[in-house]
Amino acid sequence: MNTIAFAERTRGSRPFLDARLAGNLRGSLWLVLIAAAIGLFVMAFGSPFIIRLTATAFINLIAVVGLQIFMGNSNVVNIGHAGFMALGAYFTAIFATPVMIKASMIPNAPFGLAGVEVGALYAFLISVALTSLIGLLTGLVLVRLAGIAATILTISILVIVQGVLVTWTDLFRGAQAFFGIPKVVGLGLIIVATAAVLVVARMFKGSRLGVQLRASATDPLAAEAMGVDVKRLRLIAWVLGSAVVGCAGALYALYAGTINARAFYFHTAFLTLAMAIVGGMRSVTGAMVGVALLTVLLELIRILEGGITVLGIAFPEMLGLSGLMLGVIIVAVMCFRSDGFMGGHEIEEVFAMLRRRLVAGKREG
Amino acid sequence: MTALPSSDVNVPEAPEGLSAGTGSCLDIAGLSKRFGGVYAVRDVSLRCDAGEILGLIGPNGAGKSTLINLITGTLRPDTGQVTMDGRVMNGLTVPECARAGIGRTFQNIRLFANLDVRQNVEVAHTTASRHREGGPELHEIDDLLSRMGLLPLADRLATTLPYGLQRRLEIARALALAPSYLLLDEPAAGMNDAESEQLVDLIQKIRDDFGCGVLVIEHDLRFIRRVCERVAVLHMGEILTIGSPEAVLNDPRVIEVYIGAASEDEAA
Repeated sequence: MNTIAFAERTRGSRPFLDARLAGNLRGSLWLVLIAAAIGLFVMAFGSPFIIRLTATAFINLIAVVGLQIFMGNSNVVNIGHAGFMALGAYFTAIFATPVMIKASMIPNAPFGLAGVEVGALYAFLISVALTSLIGLLTGLVLVRLAGIAATILTISILVIVQGVLVTWTDLFRGAQAFFGIPKVVGLGLIIVATAAVLVVARMFKGSRLGVQLRASATDPLAAEAMGVDVKRLRLIAWVLGSAVVGCAGALYALYAGTINARAFYFHTAFLTLAMAIVGGMRSVTGAMVGVALLTVLLELIRILEGGITVLGIAFPEMLGLSGLMLGVIIVAVMCFRSDGFMGGHEIEEVFAMLRRRLVAGKREG
Repeated sequence: MTALPSSDVNVPEAPEGLSAGTGSCLDIAGLSKRFGGVYAVRDVSLRCDAGEILGLIGPNGAGKSTLINLITGTLRPDTGQVTMDGRVMNGLTVPECARAGIGRTFQNIRLFANLDVRQNVEVAHTTASRHREGGPELHEIDDLLSRMGLLPLADRLATTLPYGLQRRLEIARALALAPSYLLLDEPAAGMNDAESEQLVDLIQKIRDDFGCGVLVIEHDLRFIRRVCERVAVLHMGEILTIGSPEAVLNDPRVIEVYIGAASEDEAA
């Protein structure tokens, strides 16, 4: 009965494109609502420490969503995203930092960049544009490779970016911190940016191109035989992902005011990768769940790390526990839910499944 | 050994709106492909008219898969060319061939495992609707699914379907390209008699409804006899003979190739 009614409805009104758009918008709305609710709640009631933690978590979320756009849809493991975060942060720093501070910090900057100063918003936009451009250049090479070779290229990108940042001292200050970036971004703006990025990722995933790319992720050969230009789609996702990850770095620079190249290396790469994997990288909801789970867990572990007393039992200091636990969490998730916590489902799909199960349960009862 | 001109054999009337024999055909001319020093396909000439169901048979290793890969752009031929409705297909990439109007299925089913039934069809449908100039009219996705009896299952994950329906979905997906020519690579493999009987009807219905030429690669000679109007036999990379199913399957050379191969199989 049900299926027949459904068939007639879809055939009668013929709203396929609209149905897709409506579905994507509904999915995006859920994501934005949840993210905004958490963010606004923290803004209203959180202590400064919690606010700082949340701001960092949201910036991580933007990076993880950027990771999801490429990795979740194309199924190519990417470890280079921390490099793009670094680029986003440093480009913003170079353009937004006041000339006076730069005069003492990077007086010999090439291309006369020591004398350039633009508003934070323009610095942000320039930075995201430049990061996307580098994404395009690296992407042209990346899409020619498949599987593990592509992953190794992403690691190389990370190492090269780090190398350039550390050795090009005239422009990036090398291993020293780059400070004096105007701190114009607070949690509020970060929430807005996160919402925008969530919508972009969800719309891309559900778009025609997103569906084609996900098809090619399971079977590139069959996808090509169905007319899908796999390389072109991977390039689009890579550049879009780079832009979003660069956006995370740029926001971080404008939020923290001080950046350091070492903060954007393997540690960050693996932390955000772990968030994507734990939540389930095939869905945008998974990115959100992964960031939330790991942020809370790691914070709890950090308390444990310092040594606490529970019910009269004093636990000793256990330095390095958070690093260990990160590994344990990933192993546990891989064992019990190899597809991540969300298993590739979006939140509205989970609701739909629950509703169906409820209806079925009622009918039986 | 060259192909017999198609006028020698009994070509059925093409469906309305399509004129067979006026250049509307998939024309394979003198195609050769070598791997190392060995010819996988040697000087093969073959034509599949619009609206025709052409069978391609041959023992294992005869070059059937290579021929398919040459037609779909997966492999580049060393010599010879493929022409589709007057358009030279040499040098086109796999996606370009697909958009130009060559749909295919795979010997071992290759559905998009992480997508549902409708999305599987949608992937082909969107590439076709974007890049198509002319060619057969595109069917709506739901229309296509209901013709193939898959509409009630549209929201199921593709790989949760039973085997026979997965084969059917693969055909539906290829049809979403609105192909001028449909290549079916062992469509009856793993099917029981009742299922392959249904498949015969389905393939003929597809030809009638969609007006495309169908090239069926099969091992099952009974299946080929029932579904095809003409049969080509490939042996050691060369065309052994082309003709009506009766003529071909009673040809002593074909029997020798097949029975010979069969008795070798039994011995091994």
